[in-house]
Amino acid sequence: MAALPPVGKHTAPLDPPQARVPGLENVDIVQLDDDTMELNMGPQHPSTHGVLRLVLDLDGEVVKRCRPDIGFLHTGFEKSFESHTYQQCIPYTDRMDYLAPLCNNLAFSLAAERLLGVEVPPRGQYLRVIMCELTRIASHLLWFGTSALDMGATTAFVYAWREREKILDINELVSGVRMHTSFIRVGGLLADVPDEFYAMVQEVLATFPRMLDEYEVLVTGNPIFRERTRNIGVISAADAINYGMTGPSLRGSGVPYDLRKARPYSSYDHFDFDVPIGEHGDVYDRYLCRMQEIRESLKIVDQAYNNLPSGPVNTPDRRVAMPPRNEINTSMESLIRHFKLSTEGFRPPAGQVYEAIESPRGELGFHIVSDGTNRPYRVKVRAPSFSNLAGLPFMARGELIADLVAVIGSIDIVLGDVDR
Amino acid sequence: MSEGTATEAVGAQGERALTLLTSELPGAVLKSESAFGEVTIYVDADRLVEIMTLLREHRDAAYAMALHVTAVDYPDREPAIPRFDVVYQLRSLMHNDTCRIVVQVTEENPTVPSLETLWATLDWHERETYDLFGINFEGHHDLQRILLPTDWQGHPLRKDYVSFGEPVAFTHNLEWALPAAERPRDMPGGGR
Repeated sequence: MAALPPVGKHTAPLDPPQARVPGLENVDIVQLDDDTMELNMGPQHPSTHGVLRLVLDLDGEVVKRCRPDIGFLHTGFEKSFESHTYQQCIPYTDRMDYLAPLCNNLAFSLAAERLLGVEVPPRGQYLRVIMCELTRIASHLLWFGTSALDMGATTAFVYAWREREKILDINELVSGVRMHTSFIRVGGLLADVPDEFYAMVQEVLATFPRMLDEYEVLVTGNPIFRERTRNIGVISAADAINYGMTGPSLRGSGVPYDLRKARPYSSYDHFDFDVPIGEHGDVYDRYLCRMQEIRESLKIVDQAYNNLPSGPVNTPDRRVAMPPRNEINTSMESLIRHFKLSTEGFRPPAGQVYEAIESPRGELGFHIVSDGTNRPYRVKVRAPSFSNLAGLPFMARGELIADLVAVIGSIDIVLGDVDR
Repeated sequence: MSEGTATEAVGAQGERALTLLTSELPGAVLKSESAFGEVTIYVDADRLVEIMTLLREHRDAAYAMALHVTAVDYPDREPAIPRFDVVYQLRSLMHNDTCRIVVQVTEENPTVPSLETLWATLDWHERETYDLFGINFEGHHDLQRILLPTDWQGHPLRKDYVSFGEPVAFTHNLEWALPAAERPRDMPGGGR
């Protein structure tokens, strides 16, 4: 009787892939040598969270090399910015990281406001904080649901979706749409929030902590989940920094770096909250970081909601803000200003700024170059998902292909943000 | 300049890098600009590796994280100034500082040394800049397109790349009816 081949090694070459469609023999699986197989994962694989394609070199089930192939959602937003006025750029920012549109609005607005030298009144800043933190919660809930689903926990997905719906309802209330809100604009907000807003935020604050406890029982305390996620996709703090990873993916490796603390913007220094960090930099630590961040975000929303100042939400600077409706009826200058702002927009002075905020995925930066006209000369988006994904080949090396799915889930990429 | 933004509260961003470069590497800084609370440092491509290594390794700078590299295209600049600005944005976690380093390269030879061995993240960012601007990062191990398909023609974020539509010829601009390759260089979409 012949001896069995060693585990994970093919003693005989595999049969060449059979052609089901003539001429497409080598599309999916290519045999490299006796031990290695090249496998195509995505772009339509459900665990790749959109249109990520991974080219994997496998030895049995072990990933020897992982090469992400991106760009399927590349839309050329950076080119489009150059032919639009500053306010017209806001809807484009919505569509980049489509799970956290308000954070993208905020980052662009802050950069443009710094060019203009405009300050938003306290109420506008607090409402921005509330909306961005609610967005962070919604984004983390979606991540929680989908990455748990990747690992086989179907129930958690349905629960997370149910809670996220409440935040999308708030988006709809304040801006009219659920996802691409364009609510935060250069100089302030679209408008002040309607009266129903307060009750809805209170509802979120009252129900979410209990729901989170429920999730933690379902997933965090689940020994199967813990075994599944511990010690896989490990990345050390130094490597994470070297790969430019930010957000919970960096904090999971134990680096307490959060732009809301390090470089507070939009009144974040008024609020008391903690930055959760991990210890080992594995999938489980990144999971814990995000789950605790939801609770911290609820703390911020609670403080901002209870100390919400009164007053205007938009800057009084008439170079940027539209004149109020009643003024247009009586003042010729206001009418002209309204017309000029609608048709031409405003003209920031020439120069360049880099402004970054902490989006749910990490450091989201806008580098705007102005030439003094009403359109940006160049906008570079420093997308957190792009840099975080660049660290995936490093984390994936030597993992099992089933664990790779968990690792992709744990860096929480949005392909719209990667490809822009 | 705005009063409320936080970046001003921690001092002009990038001054730390400028001070260090002027004292440690005399002549490395070609010029510097300070505006909107940020310092922009212009350096020469030949000394880029030396400068960036210092900024990364020196404990007074410790720019351990590279945020991005990109380019800005100025086709209408006067001939003495090179066409492209290659922009590096670095972040120091230790000192909570950001600095911007700019290298100017010409249209004929848009080449800068690759820094992917200094910061692993720049591997992808350099590929993106090559893809969209045609900047050549010398020494990059795998400099190919990343966002666009490999058979794509041209570099879309250059200012002379027409983003959409076909030029339409009227009586006053009949040269627009020429095939794209024969159009004058200074026309939109010309010279490609």
